Amino acid sequence: MAVPLFLSVLLIAACGLIYELVASALASYLLGDSVTQFSTVIGTYLFAMGVGSWLSRFLSRGLVARFVSIELMVGLVGGFSSTILFLAFAYTGAFRLVLYVLVVILGVFVGLEIPLLMRILKDRYAFKDVVSNVLTFDYLGALAASLAFPILLVPRLGLVRSALLFGLVNAGVALWSVWLFRAHLGARRVLAGASVAVLLLLSAGMAGATKITNLAEDNIYSDEVIFSRTTRYQRIVLTAWKDDLRLWLNAHLQFSSRDEYRYHEALVHPGLSARPSARRVLVLGGGDGLAVRELLKHPGVETITLVDLDPEMTRIFSTHPTLVALNHGSLSSPKVHVVNDDAFVWLDKHPDMFDFVVVDFPDPNNYGVGKLYTTVFYRLLARHLSRDGLVVVQATSPLFARKSFWCIAETMHQAGLTTYPYHLYVPSFGEWGFVLASLDGGYTPPTTLPAQLRYLTVAEVPRMFEFSADMQPVAVEANRLNTQVLVRYYEQEWDRVNR
Amino acid sequence: MSPDENKDSSSSPPSRRTFLLASGAAVVAAGAAIVSRFTNAPALLGLDRKSGPRISGGWVNESAALGHRLRDGASMPTPRRIVRVPAVAVGGGIAGLSAAWQLERHGFRDYVLLEMERDAGGNARGGENAVSRYPWAAHYVPVPGPRATLVRELFRELGVLTDTGWDERTLCFAPQERLFVHGEWQSGLDAELLGSHTGRDELHRFDDLIAEQRRSGEFTIPMALGARAGSALDRMSFAHWLDAAGLRSPAMRWYAEYGTRDDYGASTRDTSAWAGVHYHAAREPTEQGPLTWPEGNTWIARRLAARVGTRLITGTPVHRILSNGRKGWRVRAGDAEYLCDDVIFAAPTFLTPYIVEGMRAPGFVYSPWLVANLTLDRWPEERGVPPAWDNVLRSGVGLGYVVATHQALRAREDGPTVWTYYCALTTRDPATERRVLQTSTWSDWVERIMMELAVAHPNIRRCVTHVDIVRLGHAMVRPTVAFLGADARRDPQWAPRGIHLAHSDLSGLSLFEEAQYRGVVAADAVLASQHRR
Ligand SMILES: Cc1cc2nc3c(=O)[nH]c(=O)nc-3n(C[C@H](O)[C@H](O)[C@H](O)COP(=O)(O)OP(=O)(O)OC[C@H]3O[C@@H](n4cnc5c(N)ncnc54)[C@H](O)[C@@H]3O)c2cc1C
Repeated sequence: MAVPLFLSVLLIAACGLIYELVASALASYLLGDSVTQFSTVIGTYLFAMGVGSWLSRFLSRGLVARFVSIELMVGLVGGFSSTILFLAFAYTGAFRLVLYVLVVILGVFVGLEIPLLMRILKDRYAFKDVVSNVLTFDYLGALAASLAFPILLVPRLGLVRSALLFGLVNAGVALWSVWLFRAHLGARRVLAGASVAVLLLLSAGMAGATKITNLAEDNIYSDEVIFSRTTRYQRIVLTAWKDDLRLWLNAHLQFSSRDEYRYHEALVHPGLSARPSARRVLVLGGGDGLAVRELLKHPGVETITLVDLDPEMTRIFSTHPTLVALNHGSLSSPKVHVVNDDAFVWLDKHPDMFDFVVVDFPDPNNYGVGKLYTTVFYRLLARHLSRDGLVVVQATSPLFARKSFWCIAETMHQAGLTTYPYHLYVPSFGEWGFVLASLDGGYTPPTTLPAQLRYLTVAEVPRMFEFSADMQPVAVEANRLNTQVLVRYYEQEWDRVNR
Repeated sequence: MSPDENKDSSSSPPSRRTFLLASGAAVVAAGAAIVSRFTNAPALLGLDRKSGPRISGGWVNESAALGHRLRDGASMPTPRRIVRVPAVAVGGGIAGLSAAWQLERHGFRDYVLLEMERDAGGNARGGENAVSRYPWAAHYVPVPGPRATLVRELFRELGVLTDTGWDERTLCFAPQERLFVHGEWQSGLDAELLGSHTGRDELHRFDDLIAEQRRSGEFTIPMALGARAGSALDRMSFAHWLDAAGLRSPAMRWYAEYGTRDDYGASTRDTSAWAGVHYHAAREPTEQGPLTWPEGNTWIARRLAARVGTRLITGTPVHRILSNGRKGWRVRAGDAEYLCDDVIFAAPTFLTPYIVEGMRAPGFVYSPWLVANLTLDRWPEERGVPPAWDNVLRSGVGLGYVVATHQALRAREDGPTVWTYYCALTTRDPATERRVLQTSTWSDWVERIMMELAVAHPNIRRCVTHVDIVRLGHAMVRPTVAFLGADARRDPQWAPRGIHLAHSDLSGLSLFEEAQYRGVVAADAVLASQHRR
């Protein structure tokens, strides 16, 4: 009987650790700031375990039956912990309350386990062996769990199913204990029945796990969240996986640090390098400072005005060390003037003129953003452009959203601009397009580029203006405020891609 | 605690007591901190309040009192000064302002425009708060077809129409309309019809019938160009016409009903089929419209008023217009008496028997309306397609709400906003509805509106911070059965010489275009009469 008993110590220790990790990981995943989440969750959990250990003194009779019930409780609460937390996050404003209540309940129960087990065993073995074996297996279980969690469980099963799996282990241990101690247990039928019930419940949870996560959040990021914040305007999430840093706005990928240089070099240099005399630059959107980083490679540029709606966004990208490293501190450059306002409203009320304008808005996936892709907007923009100025507009994918791309070009054309559409390949996005435009119909690709670019070469630039057969222009309407055809094109096209 | 320690501490009682006191105080302090934490707990934990915060607001623009005094023949001030002026226009709504616009366009400045309220505009007045400007009644003008020349001329003058087309900031932004039906918002007011076989079928037949009527040339804007007093359609109600056409499905009938309630403040039973058809057949849009502004048609009224300049005299109700024999008319307003040759009467025509010597009541029927402007601190929860400019609830007693911030350039859509809620009181006869309206309370109405909107926006109460309401007893004229044949409309001699009626109620259709047309026609008559002199 000795080995199976000590083995169950190993299992319950693993379970205890897994729940703690699940809670911490979930908290940092949903709330960001993982150091705080891990230390507060673990601290609370350990403290609650202490409370559990202390409470164990008040349990005197029927220790085995108590132990089995506690296992079932731990299995049930622990198993469904991540489910409850996801749902709490999705449907209530009280996520933190639920989190810590759950952590305390679990901690108390888990804290009861080992003292009870020791007391059950102390009459069967020498005390020194009990202590030594129980603690050895306890720590072994912890080791196994802590290794399995990041390597196997999270990548393979995800947080919801990992917790459910270990709930099953707890309930299994309970059932097993009923069998091991069958000679000493009075209410064994009841306990065995309860164990089976819990096992069934958890299995059902396992079967419906995907539904639950989908239900709880449609934006599940596969990588670790290193920062997340819900601002007045959007949900900003930064994830990291090895050296790949990704920015998500409302669950839409904005860039991956692995290939953003391709995007941002292509956004800025084909236009700006063709206008060496450009002094005043305007950036609309682009609060990540990455386009500004590229602009600053042109020493002739004297002032850069960056208009981004969200003050939180520009603040994070001016202060967060990882992000500042990525944009080379561009937002703190003395040349850069950050304005937090709606781009359309700002343009409408300021008379300033610019030699080069970078328009880097989110894709036109709703009527609000769609306004920033209309004839009225581009006409207003044109009024802020100096005579031989250039404007470049991020224009979604000419491959996946061909109509949308050409609709943006057509809209700019109808607003009186001469357009030069081009595209490139960005691995994390796919084929991506931009529309460069001028007032007077003059543009030739640059013959020099700033030094130390990673993607662009002088030879590459003209090639970007060539479109293969499957990306050729299609007949589309211009996007107007009173029709917003672009939002409809975009919806249709990306629906097809995502299906 | 060990017995030793016990003994030890009892040997030094004072220090123990101070310790106890100190720790007691600490416990109390901690306890107090915890308690105070807990009273704040809901906020700290992000738990929402169940009941909404208090909503402020009240009745605004109340002016029924003066009307009642006129009706009851209360004594009015006697004139202290005499002003001689060739022409006087009474009523600074769109009709009066348009008359003035026409006079000004012809270089005629020897007139005054007397308006009862503090602001000109009449039903084209609006308000403004920290969030947005908003309309108090009229909020749009359909994109005029090629025949509506006066409207086009005005919009050219105002820069809304240029050689390159309509000003895109004035054309209503997409999406224009949505309907809350079957538990979610769907696009277009015909969403319910399009959702079923019968519905689609009936809508097709309806459209075909309307197209046929359109070809008859009877349905024009302004209506005077096409309307014929004896029209067969004017002799039956719109409901009757729909019955005869076999258009009976609830969705179709709601759709038709919505049309007459929206444009005429009347049910299809109380509307002449001619007017019911006119709503659908008279428009020949060349562009996705309508033309609208956050403050509604106030935008136009302000600009018209600016052109009138000092000839516009506001806060000046006209209480009597007396015949001066062959010398013309004596118009009394406040302490002044204006001696003039011609009067443009652009106040509602039902006022003539109370004001103009020797005139009868026109016998028009007017619909009472209620308009509320709701200020919201954020967009409430909802399901379905995104917010439109005009948002109609299939289950609503009212006509839904128009979003004043819809024409804002800003990309963000969920911030503070103002909604204009419209309700035409069509259930009972107008006189009863008016009486009920005058005695109902502001808070009853807020409650009714919230209940109605909560169907589509469950947390509406928590988003609305302020509600101002106007009640308009005689908001708009009703095109009842046989309205085209009314004497006041048909008979050019109905008004005495020198009195030129201009209010839009003469058209029977309460529309901007009609008000403008009537105003301009009256002004032309004045110009002709002045020319003769
Ligand atoms: C709720 C509502 C919504 C509407 N929405 C629209 C819309 O969206 N589009 C549209 O085209 N039409 C709309 N209308 C119709 C609107 O009434 C007309 O478009 C137009 O504004 C009517 O202008 P009017 O000058 O004929 O009349 P009014 O606006 O009635 O003007 C009459 C004027 O006379 C003044 N007056 C009255 N008595 C006196 C007196 N004794 N002395 C001096 N002055 C006096 C009044 O104060 C008022 O200013 C709406 C009407 C209502 C009630």
